[in-house]
This record gives sequence, C-alpha cells and structure tokens, in this order.
Amino acid sequence: MAMVGRTWDRLTIPGKILAVVVPLGALLTAALALLIALIGGAVVQFLGDNLPLVRFLVAATAVLLMTIPSAFLIIYMEMKVIALMNLRYGPDRVGPFGSALSVVHGLKVLMKEDFTPTGVDVPVFTLAPVVVYMSSVMSLLVLPFAPGLFGQDFNIGLLFFFAMGGLSVVGLLMAGWSSFNKYSLLGGLRSAAQIVSYEIPLALSVVGVVLLAGTMSLNKIVLGQAGSVFDWYVWRQPLAFVIFFIAVTAEANRTPFDLTEADSEIVAGFATEYSGMRFGFFFFAEYVNVFIASGLTVALFLGGWNAPFNWPLPVTVGLDPGGLGIGLLLLIALGPPLAIVVLGLPFYLLNSRIKLWQALVIGFVLFNLVAVGAVLGLAFLSFDWVVGLLWFMGKTYVFVFTFVWMRGTLPRVRIDQLMGFAWKWLLPAAMLNLFVTAFAILVLKR
Amino acid sequence: MSLIPGLGIVRGMALTLRRFFQPKVTHLYPEDPADISPKFRGRLQLLYDEHGTLKCETCFQCAQACPIECIDMGGVDTKGRYAVHWGASETYGERREESALRRAGRTVPDVAYEHWNAIDLGPVDAILHDADHDPGRLLEILEATQAAYGYLPVAALKRISFGTGAWYAMVYGTASYYDHLRFEPPAASSSGATPTGRGRAEADYLAGLDLVTGSGSKRPAGRAN
Amino acid sequence: MSQTRNAFDIPAHASADDPRVTLDEQIGVFEPIPPYPPRTEREAEFYTLRDGEMFVNMGPQHPSTHGVLRVVLKIDGEKVVDLDPVLGYLHRGVEKLCENADYHQAICYTDPLEYISSLFCEWSPVIAFEKLLDVQVPRRAEYIRVLSGELNRIASHALFMGWFALDLGGLTPILWSFIERDEIVEMLAALTGQRMLFNYFRIGGVNGDLNHEFMSRLGTWMSKATAQIDSNQALLNENEIFVRRARGLGTMDTATALGMCMTGPNLRATGVPFDIRRAHPYSVYPELEFDIPSRTEGDCLARYLLRMDEIRQSLRIIDQCLHQMPDGPVMAKLPRLIRPRPGRAYAAIEGPRGQYATYAISDGTDQPYRMRIHDPSFIHLQSVGLLTPGNLIADTMAIMASLDPIMGGVDK
Repeated sequence: MAMVGRTWDRLTIPGKILAVVVPLGALLTAALALLIALIGGAVVQFLGDNLPLVRFLVAATAVLLMTIPSAFLIIYMEMKVIALMNLRYGPDRVGPFGSALSVVHGLKVLMKEDFTPTGVDVPVFTLAPVVVYMSSVMSLLVLPFAPGLFGQDFNIGLLFFFAMGGLSVVGLLMAGWSSFNKYSLLGGLRSAAQIVSYEIPLALSVVGVVLLAGTMSLNKIVLGQAGSVFDWYVWRQPLAFVIFFIAVTAEANRTPFDLTEADSEIVAGFATEYSGMRFGFFFFAEYVNVFIASGLTVALFLGGWNAPFNWPLPVTVGLDPGGLGIGLLLLIALGPPLAIVVLGLPFYLLNSRIKLWQALVIGFVLFNLVAVGAVLGLAFLSFDWVVGLLWFMGKTYVFVFTFVWMRGTLPRVRIDQLMGFAWKWLLPAAMLNLFVTAFAILVLKR
Repeated sequence: MSLIPGLGIVRGMALTLRRFFQPKVTHLYPEDPADISPKFRGRLQLLYDEHGTLKCETCFQCAQACPIECIDMGGVDTKGRYAVHWGASETYGERREESALRRAGRTVPDVAYEHWNAIDLGPVDAILHDADHDPGRLLEILEATQAAYGYLPVAALKRISFGTGAWYAMVYGTASYYDHLRFEPPAASSSGATPTGRGRAEADYLAGLDLVTGSGSKRPAGRAN
Repeated sequence: MSQTRNAFDIPAHASADDPRVTLDEQIGVFEPIPPYPPRTEREAEFYTLRDGEMFVNMGPQHPSTHGVLRVVLKIDGEKVVDLDPVLGYLHRGVEKLCENADYHQAICYTDPLEYISSLFCEWSPVIAFEKLLDVQVPRRAEYIRVLSGELNRIASHALFMGWFALDLGGLTPILWSFIERDEIVEMLAALTGQRMLFNYFRIGGVNGDLNHEFMSRLGTWMSKATAQIDSNQALLNENEIFVRRARGLGTMDTATALGMCMTGPNLRATGVPFDIRRAHPYSVYPELEFDIPSRTEGDCLARYLLRMDEIRQSLRIIDQCLHQMPDGPVMAKLPRLIRPRPGRAYAAIEGPRGQYATYAISDGTDQPYRMRIHDPSFIHLQSVGLLTPGNLIADTMAIMASLDPIMGGVDK
C-alpha cells in the first residue's frame, strides 16, 4: 500500500491524470462492448423498426446542440456590432477579436450561484426557464436549413412554429408570476399581452405565403421559391414581408419592442430574480429566438436555402476511389509527404534564412490548407446541402445583423403604442394583404 | 418627423451603419496609456522633484488639513513591514503630538523606530578597524557586529557602509541574505508569548503608544484611551 | 422579520402564529410602507390601496432613477396613479459642512453637488463670497470662467441627450454623447487639473491661467463640435419612435411652471425666455452676444430640443470668449486667510439645469456663518409628482429624465 502511495506521489500531474483515465477508459470500453454484445442487436432492431422516432431524437439532439454555438455567435455579434456602432471596440481580449467572450460569459453564467429568492413558487420558478428554452428549441425543429437538412418536415410546420411561440408566453408568464417580484410580474404580463397581440398579424401575414405555396410545410414553401431571386415570395408579398418582420421582432422581444425586459423601466422584466444558469436559459432562448426569427423570415420570404441566381448545378464528381486499386494506397501513403516537400521546397530554395525543417513545417501547413480547401470545395460542389446551408446561413445572419443593428439604433416604444400599432395598423394591413392575395390568386389562376 | 413614415428610422439606421465603419474612439488602456495633462491633480502618489528626491517631508500637514481626515501616512521599514504612522482615529491627538516631537528633532520612544535610534558606535568602529575596513570581509564584520550588539542595528549597518565604502543596499542585502543575521533583538529578550509577523508589529506599536501616552497597562484592550 | 406593517400595531417580534401577521410578513415581503403611522393626510391617502392598485418601489437602486432617488409608484396595471418620491439617500449636509470650513474649503464642498456640472456649483458661492469681500475679479479671470462654464454646460447637455435616450430605450446615444463629454472633460482636466470635481474657481479669480494643452484641445474640438453634435442629434430628432414618445408627454404650462419656481431650460420650454445671464447679468455675459432659445410646447420633446439649442448658443459664447479674451492676471490680490466683514450676500447664476444660487452670511470670522444653497434639481424634481400621474410606467422615466435632476444636488 505504502509503495503504491509513493509511486503515486512520484507521478507528475499528467501522469496522475493518465493513470486514472486510462484504466477507467479501458474499463468503460469493456463494459460498453459487453453491453453492445448483450443487447445491441435488440436495440438496433428496435430503432430500425421505429425510424421516425430515431430521426426525431437525432434531430432534437442536433438542434439542441446547435442552439448553443449559434447563441454564442449571436451574443458575440450583438456585443461587437453594437460596440462598433457606438464607436467602441467592444470585446477584444478573449480569443481572436474577442470572439470567445460570449463563451466566457456562458461559463460565467454556469459558475454563478443558482439563487432561489424567498417567497417564490419554487416548482414554477424552476420550470419557467426550461419551458422558454424548450419552446425556442422546438421551433427550431421545423426550420429547413438545407435540402434534406431539417428536423422534421411537418405538413403543419408553420402552425407548429406559432404554437411553440405561444408556448414561450407560458414560460415567460410563469417566470413573471412565480418570481415574487413586481417588476417580474409586469414583465411577464407585458410579454403575454405583446406576444399574444403580435401572434395575430404574424399568422395573418403568413397566410398569403401559404396561399401562394399551397402548403404549410416550411420545406415545401422553400421548394416553391426555387429558381432565381425573382421567384422569392418577398416580391409577391412585400407588405406581408414588412408586417411579418415587424411582428417577428415583437415575438422575439427585440428592440424596439423589448418591453418585457426594458431595463430602464422594469429592471430586467421577467428575468429580474433569476441568476446563474436559469438566467442563462432565458438569455440563450432570447438569442435562439433571434436566430429563429431571422431563419423563418428567410425561409418564408427570401427563398430559404435557394441561391439568388441559377447556381451551377452540383457537379457530380465522377471519381470512384475504389477503381484506383493499389494506386489509392500509394496516393494515401505518398501523396501527403510528397505534397509537403513540393510545397515547402520553394521556401527553402528561395529564402536562405529559412532552414529545411522550417520549410517543411510551412509545407505541412500549406498542405493542410490546400487539402482542407480541396475537401471543402469538393463537398461544396458534390453535396447540394452544403451550398444550401451556406446560402441559408448567409441570409439568416444578414437578418440577425439587422436585428442587432436595430437594437443599436432605435429607442423603445411604449406599451400603448405597441398594442395600438399591432391592432390598428398591422392587423388591418395583414387582412388587406390576405384579401388582395386571395383575390389575385382567384383571378390569375382561374 | 418626415412626411414618409419610417424615413427617420431609416436615416437613423443609416447613421449607425456609417458609424459602424468609422474609426473608434476608445483608448485601449494598458497598451495605449491615458494622455494625462501635466496639470492633472488626481495622481494618487507622492511626487519627486527634479533631482529624483521625494518631495514629501512627512510634515503631516496634509493629514491635518484634510477636511474629512482620509489621509493616512505610513512607511516601510527595513524588514519590509508596513506601519501606519498616523494610526487609528482615536489616537490622532497623541499621534499629532508625537509627530510634532519628531519634527522638532527630539526622539520619540517608539518601538517601531528603535532601528533608527542612535547607538554607541564604538564596537562597530573597533570591528571595522580589525577587519581593515575591507568590504570583501563584509560577512565577517556583520557577524562580529551581531555578536557585539546581539542584533544588527540600522545605525551600525550605516556605519559599516560608511566605513567600508560598500553601498548600504549591499550591506543590507548581505545582512538580510543570511538566516543567522537578524535585525531585531533576539526573541528571548522579549517577554511572554511572542507575537509574530503582523501581530508582532501591532504589539510593538501598542507598546510604543503606551510609552508615549504614559497610560501603561491601564488602557483597556482593543481601544486606545 | 419585516418591519413594514408596524404602522398597524404589529410588534416587530410577532411570531408566525400571530393571526395579525399575514403570509407576506412570514416570507419577508417588502412593501414600501413607511414604518410609522401616516403623518399627513396626503401620506395616509397615498399609502392606502384601492382595488386593483399596487405599489412598485422604484429605486434607490433602479437603473434609471439617475442616482439614488427612490420613487414609490402606485400603479393600476401599467398606469401610474400616484407617486411619492423619497429623498435623502445622498444627503451629506453640505450647507452645514460649509459652515465648518473656511471660505476656500467651502467651495470644495459645494463642488460635488451637481457632479455633472461642477463648475456652476463653484461659481455661485464664489460670486457670493466675492460680494462679501467686495473684491474685483480680473477680467481675464471672468472670461476664463465663462469659457470653462459654457464648456461644462455643453458637457452637461450632451450627457442629458444620452440619458434621455437611454431612458427611452436607445443604447447608442449615451455612448456618443459620452464621447463629446469626454473630450470636454479631458480639456477641462488640462485646464483645471481634475476631470469631474474641478475645484477651479477661486475667490477672486481662477486657479491657473489658460495653458497650451487646453487651448490646443479646445481648438481641435471646436473645429468638429458643431458637426458632431448635429450628427448625434440626427439619430433622435427625426426618429419617429422617439418623437412619438416624447411629444406631448409631461406637458407643463407656463403658470404652473412659474408657480413651481422652475428655472432654466425647463421653464424656457414652457415659453418664458427667462435666463439669469440676461435677466440679472453677472460676470461678462453683458458683453457677449447670444440668444435665449425658448419653446412654447412645454413637453419632454421641447425640453430636449431646447437643450440642444442651448448647446449651439454655448458654442457661440465660447467662440466670442476666445476672440475677446483680454490679457492680464487671473487672480485678484487677496490675503491667504479671508475674513470678510459681517454681512450677507446672494448670488445667482444660470446653470445648465437652471438657477444655482448661494446665500452666505459672514460674521467676521474665516468661516461662513450660514450658507444656503438653492439647487434647481430639487425644485424641478417636485414637478414629477404633478406631471407623472395618469401616464405609464415607462413615461415616468422619460419625464424624470427630461427634467434632468441630479441627485447630488437634490439631496445636498
């Protein structure tokens, strides 16, 4: 025993870590192998029989995982863009151009005390952030990112989105009511009034698009806009686009409609009493909502993942690696070293100060760049979903930028102006748009 | 407000977008230090004159003039211990008298200042003479001095520096390098439980205070007077 | 346990079983009810809730009460029914402190009263003491005072613009206006030696002449100031959301404004072109050419636009000061220890928020016997109770911001 202790003491820190991790890893691997051997077949059988379930689970997990980096990206964007508009530098210390600051914020939120104040309704208080976050994530499930790349293709996709939007109101109300704070209560009630009011012009403005596309499936709506930039619905539904954008801004609680968390009036609205990761969930949900709002605007009116012009059709790469036979092995074995030498040699030959090993390092880096570029380019040409995803993300982030830009520019509206705007202006305009669209369809298609 | 609704908003957004690309005005502080004017009065530091000498003469007039009595004066002794000269607010009266005495050139019986007190330099001179005023035999001199005094008084160190021609910093550095050389009387001479570190300094300070005020041990613990 | 219901005879140590202790008490809810029986009818009426009303305790840590103002709002839904400002969180007893300091030290105490525009807080006691001493201030010193004072006025109004926009929810204008303020503050630091509490005016002159750094900074800034401030305002002045929120909000008519003793921009926004610089001229203002902008609407937008107009007038004054600056000393010859003859003096000046005034009594010693400071913020804050009820919670902030009170001056 004493010998073991002495040996342990002599180990360095990496050694100690390895001494723990390696046996543990081996043990776990063995257990996993045993588990797979025992019940693996049954599980595979079960999953194979219920493919929709598998698809749903995978999609939900993927979407859940996707929200975190996209929220980090949008938070960073918000900090940086508003700072630049304020003539500041914004985050510039953590990571390149401060890009890791939002990650650090996330870690900070994780490490802060999860505080439950006296007098709150504990179960409701605890559940509220989960409800808000999950409703946001669930809305993301129906968003078509690229051809074949979406969570679920519901034929009632739009309806599902509005339902989830309505569910987030429940979460905000729960947070506001259970927090035992009057600012929270005011914030929760404001959000309820605001989101419920803006759901109506939001839904009505989309009905025109639904009439044009003949479906409520977001995937099919995007497919209906295939072709050039002039096939996008924004040209046929400009009024609906404007109404939708305004209403979706209000739905996502963004400036100038961020009354629910108006910090100069009701400290932080429904999130006043929240701290730690519970507040983090609200915070993340807000930015996921921004992403969803932008993505939905793009999918409904700006062609989703369709390119704005006739993109060259995906080139089918006619290279069959198996056909090369022994040549493939040779290529894999000799290609990289040869490429490294070929790429690095010019540096060695042309600059006398660079030593051979330095030239080889340069060659290695260059080879990696070239190889990665080649693989990505091949993927870009071969798989249409890569192209689609890039177009979709590009368009979406233009709208995310617009949201941030609006936050950097506009003051906040008042609650009566907000409600008046929804009921007196947006709702009649949406109705008008609906009638005109329906009439036009009747006249033109008959 | 313009005729077309929303035009003002659009103009504002155009303005922010223009600012987005304009050069920024933030000072990146640690890399780009603030441009402080020569007249700036807000520096929290003592000033030096053109010869590099500290301008502060520790006359305590600033502490007396400060309307809200926020100025405290302190210093670092040769062992690197920090001692506040001016002390707790209850003892301002005594401290003022003490500072007046010190400014008048009279000695103040304060334990914290005993290192600076004049001592009989005869033994040091003898040791220096024996060692031929050789700075190369510094350690030998210091050991002999400690044997003579029991510790190394500051005055003796200064004398050694003066006699051998070695810099005071070198003498002090040599003395502080060796564990067996000490700057205070050995612990056996002090009475009772010996407080260490900061507690020791406080005890010294309070003992000196007792000497100054003459209140002795009558003073209740934890509060002066 | 909560002490809030003690007004209703519940002992502070009442146990949870006591039927008089409600559930709210058991879980320590804070109701902003004062812990004493109502002292006035107004207080009794205010702290009685009707059906559907509730209290919201706004401040002293609320983000937009401009310091440590506490406002107890009685709201019905989003509508403010009544409100009760609670002052004194920043009370330092400056007037009493000044009585215990000699005349030079007293100026240093009045400095942080309205910390956004410190020079004006120095200016009025300095004039009062000069009247007590009957000392003639050199003309160059007067011009320097006007020059630095108008710079400080611009800094204050520029910051007002940002604050007003921030309370209406705009993030950007506050940072843009801080750029202007920082420029001015930096050049004033080059002149006076401090960034915020300048402590620059002395009895009989100013502490130090104009220096090269100040002048070069001022010249650089003046060349672009007008364009920059106009550009900053373009963000708000044309913005529909901003204009719709500020127009017609918190409207004050002339009679009420005069009855509330309002001065400065808040009074001028109701149509009274009263400016102490013209009405009771002091310093060298009679020699300078400038207009007194006034508007008739009396609402938040008018108050905002009026301050923007005043910035332009201040720029005009600065330009004239630089052209007419005489040579000479900047400090009158005075003994170091000042003992004015017994007497009393009153001096009022026009600050960025209105009339700052000092009333000082000397009893022949080196300390003022009595010093009374009139501060515009306190006067203007009174009208919040008049303007706010009937508006929404969000408008409370806008109205308070448009009156531009500084809590350092309100609480003294």
